[in-house]
Amino acid sequence: MNILYFEDIEEGDEIAGLDLFLSKDLVRRYARTANMYFPRFTDDEGARAEGLPGMIAPGVMSMGLLARMISDWNRAATIIRLGTTFRNPVLPDRMIHLRGAITQKNEADHTAECDLWMENDEGERWVVGTATISLPTKL
Amino acid sequence: MARILDLHLHSEASDDSRAPVEAYLKWLARKRDERPIEGLVLTEHRQFNRAADYRALEDKYGILILKASEVETDYGHMLVYGVNDDILARFDFRNVRLNAQELINEVARMGGIAMPCHPGRPTIGLIEHYQKKPPLEGVVGVEALNGGSKKGEDERVAGLVQAYGYHAFGGSDSHLVSFVGLCATEFDRDIKNIEELVEALRTGGYRPVDFRPKKPQPSVTPEGLTYGAGL
Repeated sequence: MNILYFEDIEEGDEIAGLDLFLSKDLVRRYARTANMYFPRFTDDEGARAEGLPGMIAPGVMSMGLLARMISDWNRAATIIRLGTTFRNPVLPDRMIHLRGAITQKNEADHTAECDLWMENDEGERWVVGTATISLPTKL
Repeated sequence: MARILDLHLHSEASDDSRAPVEAYLKWLARKRDERPIEGLVLTEHRQFNRAADYRALEDKYGILILKASEVETDYGHMLVYGVNDDILARFDFRNVRLNAQELINEVARMGGIAMPCHPGRPTIGLIEHYQKKPPLEGVVGVEALNGGSKKGEDERVAGLVQAYGYHAFGGSDSHLVSFVGLCATEFDRDIKNIEELVEALRTGGYRPVDFRPKKPQPSVTPEGLTYGAGL
């Protein structure tokens, strides 16, 4: 289990990234579990009927994946705030790449600001955002 | 003085960014070898951040900081450099349907310059509007390299630049600290202030520069789930 204390991180550090194949089945399972079983999240035809290029992943699923990246990188991090901007529908059936970086450390309360984003193989950033995390201290 | 400037980025003064200006500067100080940016131009959405004074930060970090605006027009988004009291009295930057031709003409007459940004982007880019309406007069240059562009957007702009003879510049369009300076503009001359920037943008002698890291090929199979090495 990876534990990082406030003193272990520096501004400019990368958050260990997460690369995964976002399958349609995974999106459907998420939609079912989250009680979001709508056509846009379950089948291409239904999504296209809504004007989308095909079925997409729910926004909260993308946020959840970004949060998972943080917790996988550091089990001791508590996410205080997570905010995202959705720049493109997240289309399943392809690789996605989750990335992040520590941009600011706040000594007063042992929190840190992070940049987070999801991109595709071409480097198009589909979801971008920031998070504030709280970390334990060695003091 | 600066020759390589990021001409398009947003700080926490914009409604869709949480990036403090000092965090941008600290990031550039760390990434100097990868992104040799010497100047930033803050282009806040639909406003001109008149009150902001960045001189102390300029001295502390040795990076030129200039102020401009990104506004919304009937031909898409435009960056306005050289914003002054006359321009602010003439245009309400909060208006998301500014008349682009009036903006270009009047800003030029009042000492500034208005230039289309991310012109290859659907809906808010110049190219889509050129397909439905006559081309604008008085456009000097366009943002040909934008850090937020999707595949094909900047490629479309190359055709626009060639067809109309526009100058080309670049900017990161960063809303996040870590994206600052990934795309920028290199000038043939030193820029010391906003007046010199406007003059340089009018006359040419600049080009977009790309500092984005080259993408590694994905190495994970559809069945696999691995932890990446980061960028």
